[in-house]
Amino acid sequence: MTAERVEVKQKVLSANDRLAAEIRADLTSRGVLCLNLISSPGSGKTTLLEKTIDELKSKLRLAVVAGDVQTRNDAERLERHGVPVEAIETGGGCHLNAEQVSKSLSGLGLSELDLLFVENVGNLVCPSSFDLGESMKVVLMSVTEGEDKPLKYPAAFRRAGALVLTKIDLIPHLQFSAERAVENARSINPELEVFATSSFTGEGLAEWLDWLLEAAERKRSG
Amino acid sequence: MHEMALALEIGGICERELAHAPESRLTGLGVQVGAFSGVEVDTLRFCLEVVLKERHGDVAIEIEREPGVAACLSCEVQFEVRAAPFECPDCGSVARGVTGGQSLQVSYLEVE
Repeated sequence: MTAERVEVKQKVLSANDRLAAEIRADLTSRGVLCLNLISSPGSGKTTLLEKTIDELKSKLRLAVVAGDVQTRNDAERLERHGVPVEAIETGGGCHLNAEQVSKSLSGLGLSELDLLFVENVGNLVCPSSFDLGESMKVVLMSVTEGEDKPLKYPAAFRRAGALVLTKIDLIPHLQFSAERAVENARSINPELEVFATSSFTGEGLAEWLDWLLEAAERKRSG
Repeated sequence: MHEMALALEIGGICERELAHAPESRLTGLGVQVGAFSGVEVDTLRFCLEVVLKERHGDVAIEIEREPGVAACLSCEVQFEVRAAPFECPDCGSVARGVTGGQSLQVSYLEVE
């Protein structure tokens, strides 16, 4: 029997992408801004969210989908700040996918939301490949990680709309140039919005919060 | 790290395609992997072998690499790139963005 070649030309992640498109359409129709937070482990995603929730929960209706390989620790930390949180334990998976997010969204009252954060699994490689239906990816990078992080892990920075530099209160103790880090990030993605923040001292958080308020307002008004 | 998840997706695509012709046997698989798709080619090949082995035995796996292409922010020239940062060979400006090398698709199946 002779072999026959069948053209397929199908994207490997087409099933994920289709579901992500459905999530995006649903969130957009309800005017919900959805941000997918991506970073290495320990860069401060959960702490930034804790601060953000405390500052914004009187102005916006917030919720979080928190992904981790194991434990509900992040979700429990965030729940204490008084917003709905859905935890996804991936059980070894190094990223979230659209199916996991879709299931956890059914536990949240989406029509009652303005801003939804998806805290991805701490990993700067794999999460950037999986569309979750977010409005925008936001990449976090702490100052202890080194200025060349964007050059080493370009995909996450290329696909993000904003970069939050975290833990800037530590800069006096480090050989770290925020200017060079931002320059590296913008060499990958010239249109990246950049926020330099410290969740510990509160420095730079006002700009981040204002940007979130404006983005949520734009989303709400279509 | 996520290559096994991708290999399982590719296995699923193969199953769906073969469902149209249940008598057929999968003998070959072509996958196109872009330079910026975030995929480690050798790991993907290993994972695909594991995923396809049980049902299909040995399948000839061809992985075609799609080169990375970026477009200049200033002069719009398109140029091939390997590693960041991407500087335009004509004017030295940074790239506006990646225009090629992000694909990750099943190109073809070979069946008999």
